[in-house]
Amino acid sequence: MQALEYFLIPWLDLKLLFLVAAGTFAGVYVGAIPGLSVTMAVSILIGFTFTWDVYPALCLMVGIFMGGVYGGSRTAILLNIPGAPSAIATAMDGYPLAQKGLAGEAIGLSTVMSFVGGLIGIVVLAIAAPTVSEFALVFQPRDYMLLAVLGILLVGSLSGESLVKGIFAGSVGLLIGTVGLDPLTAEERFTFGFTGLWGGISFIAVMIGMFGVSEALMQLHHVDKAAVKQKISRIVPNWSSIRRYLPLSLQTSSIGVLIGALPGTGGDIAALMAYDHAKRVTRDPEVPFGQGAKEGLVAPETANNAAVGGAFIPMLTLGIPGDAVTAIMIGALYIHGLNPGPMLMIEQPQMFWFITGALVLANIFMLIFGLTGIRIFTKIVEMPRAVLIPLILLLSIVGAYAVNNSISDVYWMLGFGVLGYFMKSYGYQLGPVILGVILSRLLDENWRRAIISEQDSIAGLFKGMLTSPLSLVLLAAVVLIFVSQTPLWRGVRGKLGLESKP
Amino acid sequence: MKKTFVKFAAVAALGTALGTAVFAQDYPGKEIQGIIQWGAGGSTDTVMRTVTPHAEEVLGGKVVMKNMTGGVGAIATKFVYAQNPDGYTLLMGAENPLLYKVMGLGDIDYSEFTPINILARGVPILVANNDAPFDTFDEMVEYIQAHPNEVKFGSTGPGGLPSVVTSMIASKTELPVTQVPYDGDGPALTALQGGAVDVMPAVLGAAIEAIRGGRIKAITLIDNKPTEVLPDLPALGETHPEYADYFPWGPFFGVFVKNGTPDDVVAKLTEAYAEGAKSEDFVKLMADRGYIVESLSGQEAQDFLTKWQSLTTWLLHDAGETKASPEEFGIPKP
Repeated sequence: MQALEYFLIPWLDLKLLFLVAAGTFAGVYVGAIPGLSVTMAVSILIGFTFTWDVYPALCLMVGIFMGGVYGGSRTAILLNIPGAPSAIATAMDGYPLAQKGLAGEAIGLSTVMSFVGGLIGIVVLAIAAPTVSEFALVFQPRDYMLLAVLGILLVGSLSGESLVKGIFAGSVGLLIGTVGLDPLTAEERFTFGFTGLWGGISFIAVMIGMFGVSEALMQLHHVDKAAVKQKISRIVPNWSSIRRYLPLSLQTSSIGVLIGALPGTGGDIAALMAYDHAKRVTRDPEVPFGQGAKEGLVAPETANNAAVGGAFIPMLTLGIPGDAVTAIMIGALYIHGLNPGPMLMIEQPQMFWFITGALVLANIFMLIFGLTGIRIFTKIVEMPRAVLIPLILLLSIVGAYAVNNSISDVYWMLGFGVLGYFMKSYGYQLGPVILGVILSRLLDENWRRAIISEQDSIAGLFKGMLTSPLSLVLLAAVVLIFVSQTPLWRGVRGKLGLESKP
Repeated sequence: MKKTFVKFAAVAALGTALGTAVFAQDYPGKEIQGIIQWGAGGSTDTVMRTVTPHAEEVLGGKVVMKNMTGGVGAIATKFVYAQNPDGYTLLMGAENPLLYKVMGLGDIDYSEFTPINILARGVPILVANNDAPFDTFDEMVEYIQAHPNEVKFGSTGPGGLPSVVTSMIASKTELPVTQVPYDGDGPALTALQGGAVDVMPAVLGAAIEAIRGGRIKAITLIDNKPTEVLPDLPALGETHPEYADYFPWGPFFGVFVKNGTPDDVVAKLTEAYAEGAKSEDFVKLMADRGYIVESLSGQEAQDFLTKWQSLTTWLLHDAGETKASPEEFGIPKP
């Protein structure tokens, strides 16, 4: 069988095998360092691998992609600084686990679950790529808008004790996201005449500040307390617990593949949506969400790695990037003389199976590299706070600087760190802020596109929503989730005698 | 006091002159920075990364390329403008800066820079969703006029290629359409395939693979003669001679240095990029993607830029898409 032959190319060639391994290894660490992103690594590689053949170049890029998406969870769990935007949701329950001395177990579980998610993503890519990409094309601006609204409703599950404070925090995030040149009209928004603000406020700087610096500042309150002793007895999760999370991981992986395959959305939104889904469907978690629920770790980790396979779906079938990384890879294919587009699968079928093969290989290497060295990593959390806090600050500064090599990003990061500290002190959760920043652009652009398409008619927009099956389903989901967060719903549930969630 | 100043100025001038002389002789004495206005993997990026390694060979030095995105290229343009005009910072960009002034995006455009090489020019094409109820330019115009504002044209915001092409068409006939803006031609072409927009003026290179794959249909080429890549597609300038004066028009890619860069450095860079533009890799990439290699430098490049700016800014101004009149900046009417 021809396909299998192509699939095995990276497995049988020692050099390619090594490059996938090296890429994955580098990816895990690039991903773990906040500010160094996979997108950045892959764009550097374009220049670096320019003179190479296309196979070795792709092997390295695929490895970095897979490893990098996983690597973001490392620092999220250990230090509460998501190494990449797709690990934001991981921090919410991963970090509390580390604080309980279960960092090793958390990393082990996230590694195995990333592997499971990654594999599901690749399987969908291999068997259903054309179907999924046709489906992804059906999404109209109004559907993206509904998807963003669905995402915004996550505020409900991220706001902690006070929904009002959560909504406030989410709005702050949306506002931060609007700064800069308007993406549709290039009009200045909240730039106050500064050219430096044209590009907007770096979202990574906000993320690092809000998570890393504010956490470091919080820790200063108990600088004299001894660090948590880490239990390192069990790292690789046993089979029964994997099996327990398997149904959930199948659902969250599906979310991951689909969101990953949609052009314009990627692993970060996928992981947050999966987190929300887990919170909704888990009837009685052993530990409440936000305090170290393992489901809260499994969901985002499976979803973001499943999104990797998903992102390749429109890229390989139609030449349309599924996310920022695949957009760069399309450029790389052009440079290497291939023409990514709908004809690629017909004229160059080996590329499809070669990339699938390399992805599976990268996924396996990710599991191997992920499960080794955990013991050393967990020692980080055991360091005395007087060492750990400066380390977090240093990492945050380096990370914020690395995004654009810009010192103003460092100032933004520090500013948001201080803001985050005060918000935390007054009971505001920071998750909704980040959520707002991530979704701001998706919501803003697509709402306006949707309404422009209907010639500014609200009635026309609703008519469109009610007549398209996809929009109708999304609208129903929005309404249902919204209602389920109001007291009305709890009343109805109580009357019907349904058990209510804790 | 005055004397001291004069002395100081003289010494400084001498120093600069000496410095420049030494420096031009062994240029490049250190790494050259190439600032790309658009993101990694995009068409500007692809062009620059293909041509530069060949220019490096001639130059005998290293050009480190970096993407600096944002503000439709204005951020990169301002960055290079803020550097010393010593030839160690190159601006690698597309056509956008020529529209900044009239679009209110600042007052720095390519007039502050010396063109090293206008590498290539793209040819625009009008493409439509496969289900659109028209196949030719005339059918399209007729349908649009019969259904005012119902047909959705993909756009990339004011001043982008789609808005210019739409203005060109609308300058000679009634064209009541709704323009839906996207982040770039990639996302807009995706939306075209999904039916979120009906028609899209795009650069041939970005649409070619989707046309070959039968995902979208080509309506007309926005040029005076058909292209080798799609020989059967009529060219608008041929079928509708009233448009012929506008063409050839299209987006372009070029390498620039800030004005004031020593002449011999400019000469050396010009030679290097002219050689690079002849390389097999570059010529093949351009042919595959339907771009036309121009490789203009010196006065030729300057004339190209002047003509492009005058035609485009006035066209946009007449269509009511600009914030300021080209007249304010002394841009002559075509």
